[in-house]
Amino acid sequence: MKHPVSPRVGVCLLAAALLLFPLVFSDAFYRDIGVAFLLAAISASAWNIVGGYAGQVSVGHSMFFGLGAYAPLFCYTQWGWPPLAGIPVGIVLSVTLAVVIGMPTFRLSGHYFSMATIAVAELIRIFFGTWALVGGAIGLQGPAVARGWWDLTFRGDLAYYYIFLGVLGLLLFVTFEVGRRRFGFYLRAIKASERAARSLGVPVRLTKLKALALSATFTSAAGSLYAVKTGFIDPDSGFGILVSVQMVIVAALGGAGTLLGPLVGALILIPLQTAANTWFGGGGSGLTFILYGGIIVLIARFEPGGLFDLWRRVAALVWRRAHAA
Amino acid sequence: MLLEAHDVAKAFGSFWAVAGADLTVEEGEIVGLIGPNGAGKSTFFNCLAGDTLPTSGRILFDGTDLTRATPEGHARAGIGRTFQVPMTFEDMTVLDNVMVGAFLRHPHRSDAREHARRIVELTGLRPDQPGRSLGTPGRKRLGIARVLATEPRLLLLDEALAGLTPTELREAIALVRRIHETGVTIVIVEHIMEVIMTLTRRVLVFNQGKVIASGTPEQVVKDEAVIEAYLGRGARHA
Amino acid sequence: MVLLQVIVGGLLLGAIYALFSSGLTLIWGMMNFINFAHGEFVMLGMYAALLVVLHIGGGPVGFGAAAALALFGLGVAVYFALIRHVVRGPMLSQILSTFGLALLLRYTAFFIFSANFVSLPPTSLSGTLDLGGIFLPVAQLVAGLTAVVLTIALHILLTRTTIGSRLLAVAEDRAAAMLMGIRPDRMQALAWGLSAGAAGIAGALLATAYPWSPTVGETFGLIAFVTVALGGFGSVLGSLYAGLIIGLIQAISAYWLGAIYKDIVVYGLFVALLWLRPQGLMGKA
Repeated sequence: MKHPVSPRVGVCLLAAALLLFPLVFSDAFYRDIGVAFLLAAISASAWNIVGGYAGQVSVGHSMFFGLGAYAPLFCYTQWGWPPLAGIPVGIVLSVTLAVVIGMPTFRLSGHYFSMATIAVAELIRIFFGTWALVGGAIGLQGPAVARGWWDLTFRGDLAYYYIFLGVLGLLLFVTFEVGRRRFGFYLRAIKASERAARSLGVPVRLTKLKALALSATFTSAAGSLYAVKTGFIDPDSGFGILVSVQMVIVAALGGAGTLLGPLVGALILIPLQTAANTWFGGGGSGLTFILYGGIIVLIARFEPGGLFDLWRRVAALVWRRAHAA
Repeated sequence: MLLEAHDVAKAFGSFWAVAGADLTVEEGEIVGLIGPNGAGKSTFFNCLAGDTLPTSGRILFDGTDLTRATPEGHARAGIGRTFQVPMTFEDMTVLDNVMVGAFLRHPHRSDAREHARRIVELTGLRPDQPGRSLGTPGRKRLGIARVLATEPRLLLLDEALAGLTPTELREAIALVRRIHETGVTIVIVEHIMEVIMTLTRRVLVFNQGKVIASGTPEQVVKDEAVIEAYLGRGARHA
Repeated sequence: MVLLQVIVGGLLLGAIYALFSSGLTLIWGMMNFINFAHGEFVMLGMYAALLVVLHIGGGPVGFGAAAALALFGLGVAVYFALIRHVVRGPMLSQILSTFGLALLLRYTAFFIFSANFVSLPPTSLSGTLDLGGIFLPVAQLVAGLTAVVLTIALHILLTRTTIGSRLLAVAEDRAAAMLMGIRPDRMQALAWGLSAGAAGIAGALLATAYPWSPTVGETFGLIAFVTVALGGFGSVLGSLYAGLIIGLIQAISAYWLGAIYKDIVVYGLFVALLWLRPQGLMGKA
């Protein structure tokens, strides 16, 4: 099917827009939204690898986010390490956790995996809340004043914006490349029909594990970025259900299993969330959840392919009409 | 001897779907597997394909014991199978569907794509057609193309020719013959007698979990036990 | 003596776990579908009981029945509005559908009822019994025993009545059931009604004996998963045994390790189960 606008041109335009955004909109308010958008896009794109492409729905992905968030701050508070050094630590922990969860559950039907992710995320959240070493219910803090660039403690959002943008670019590139190779084909085959995939020699369990590990890596990185930027983490902001839900809804709203779906989702949801917080005020989080819940149900019921899929169908329809005329 | 099944049995609870079945297939043969519904041939077939774990018995492929091997293991060893209900990868094109199979022996994308393209041509499908837009005959053919891409030495066809019009049936039979001519050994489960008579040289008849007759199609069709199995006692003397 | 009290208390609570978990296992067994909002059904049952008591009055039988009926209706409505459409679709939308529903129900409850813990006003079940040194709130005792009876009743309904065999027929082979004149859609809606109804009554029973807030839905949901995983997906009797065991383990952990750990132990048990014995004690995986 031919697209009205060549994909390559579209991607270049998108990249240009993202690069120029904080320079054109230099007010702190806009930059803040920009950073929030990027963070949401990174988390959702990371989730997308295992949840969208492979079809293994994790609703507890915050476990990787939280580990990635705690690691740099823990390394800083315990040993004075720059948070930057803690990022790989978080990744190692997350990948280990991914394998531990994946190994038993990927033998079984998809529901087991989903349930396991909820249970483990909750388990870790409660546990961290009671563990003094990681700050218990209070959590951990990062450097108040930067000792050097490696502390990644900047004033203003500009530096964070470009760091996050770089990570997003890397993640999308990796997802794109992986999607084109055998691994990507195997993921889509597993999502479509595991039984058929098996009969063609696809190593289903191993492929799912790899997808989860890759997803965990980037989710952990997202958590690390979050912790480094806000300079603070606690069990709820790290492992809470809101974190998991947001990843899922951003990806699903935009289009799970597509490369740019999560970006579309973030583009819509972050401004929506900011607006909701302003309207509903401080007690907003409850209403935000109601909204999220409603959106998720509607997507599941009417548009499981997300807005991207809707857009593709509408665009194809318009294209056909325009050419029939 | 390419495939040997010795005394294979499969129980579901206290019900023995397969109660001691033997099978030998030489390289290069086309063997048919027929029997009334509920006779256990599908379960036996799934045991051969690695989808079901036999309760007892042994399955050997080219000397290697594959009794407990996974479906992936079967594919890697060189056994391919189709499904009665074709499980097309709906969101992928025909070519992409076949590439999934091709990747087994061709890990690199360009090799896999080339190999897949050749197979798609061989089976007469259009490479860029979305999987979900295919009708049943197309899906069945795609199922065959997909598994062919894994370069099997033995192909297990599970009612791959059911639900086709007479023209489609003739084309499908020709396709299976072409595949056979490239050197692939075939075991075909089928209800349609035309397929069995024209394609196979040897037929096994299943009933109540066991092989009750074997021979050429002509012999088997006249066998008393076979007639009784299909039509019941009393039909023998009809 | 205290230990004995803890044990009995745990078993009684476990019986209620068994009751609502059997609802979850029914749906799994019938449709291979996991209802992530099941805990919220229990929570709504609790609030339904509260609303009836506050605005209509009446005793435990009254508000118990009301909760059961209200949730039965909700279950059927959810089936027709949502589940029926996603059950044959991709896994993603299946999981998202009830997960989103859970959020919707939970936070709507937060919005309407606030996050404060509430209890039922004193009912005919107030007071404590002294059973040879063990002090048991009457409500807990009655609730627990009623739960056992109802769970067994559900089991009998499913295995020994006509309607039960129709439900199981649809679970077994939808097409064949249709050919026999059974309407799968109706049976599945009925199953959802029963499942939610069981959750609703369980909620009402819980409300008589324990305080709650909208957060309990999440905890109960997970307990239901663990119970169903332990007892075997699709087995109501399995849920009964497993529920009792879970209640017991929870009570003893709280006693030995402290109240904070009672949830951790349950979740940990779930993860351990997945690792070691996914098929549970009684059912098939």
